[in-house]
Amino acid sequence: MSNIHPLDTRKSQSGEIDAILRNLMGIQGVSAAAIVDNDGFVTHIQRDSEINTDAIGASVQVVFGAAARAAQHVGHHATNMVICENAEGFILSTPVEAGFMLALVTQRDALLGRVRFELKETIPVLKKLFSHYLTH
Amino acid sequence: MPWFQAQMAELQRLAEEYALSQQQTASNIVNVSEKMRLKRAEFIDAVQVLVDKIGKIKGISACAAYHDGLILAQSAHSAAIDAFGATLQESARAAQQGAALLGLGELEQIVIVGAKNKVAMLSIGPLMLCISSPKQINLALALNRRPH
Repeated sequence: MSNIHPLDTRKSQSGEIDAILRNLMGIQGVSAAAIVDNDGFVTHIQRDSEINTDAIGASVQVVFGAAARAAQHVGHHATNMVICENAEGFILSTPVEAGFMLALVTQRDALLGRVRFELKETIPVLKKLFSHYLTH
Repeated sequence: MPWFQAQMAELQRLAEEYALSQQQTASNIVNVSEKMRLKRAEFIDAVQVLVDKIGKIKGISACAAYHDGLILAQSAHSAAIDAFGATLQESARAAQQGAALLGLGELEQIVIVGAKNKVAMLSIGPLMLCISSPKQINLALALNRRPH
């Protein structure tokens, strides 16, 4: 019985991570929400259309890494969020825990403040979920 | 209580409930996460509903809500929506400094009146609500007319 309990906990935590991503997908203009690991692989994703998950994962890690190095160069220390403004929308990425990142892809009509607010409020919970998830 | 004051009081209540849900420490992080998510959605959805209602009031040109100067909810598409956000950030910073110097307490409202139009900015939890109208409109009266 004691061996089953942690597996249940892990399953419910993974389910909550998916629920958080689904919640983010409910925001106007958000077309994909993903968790990307340290190597650029997508571990959880919710999306409303076909999207190249490998490309998202790798590019999010590369862009965040470059932005974080730029921030270090100008003495800004830790990078909390990177926002890419593109012709057709935004890509927002935020570090979670142990190299994992939360990435959001939006259309042009997304309200940037709404998406950013939700990301900022979500990250502390995701950090806790991940620290539990990774230690159980 | 007048309509607008009642709406603002309700939003403040939802903002406080959300802030309280953030302070909860429970062993079951999944339950805490879900509760916070629901409380946040309740608060933000109520903000969007109010913004839509205010935007429909006769005499109001536009209404929008901002977080850190970035657009969070808007009544209708407006060309000046980013300018609003920038003005809001600048005004809030100046007003906060002034409020601190004068011991006014937490910032609640800022009103800027120009020769043609005016803008009122009201604090709701972590957000700012911006309402614009022509200068001659009495905002207090207009906002207390329940929209249809």
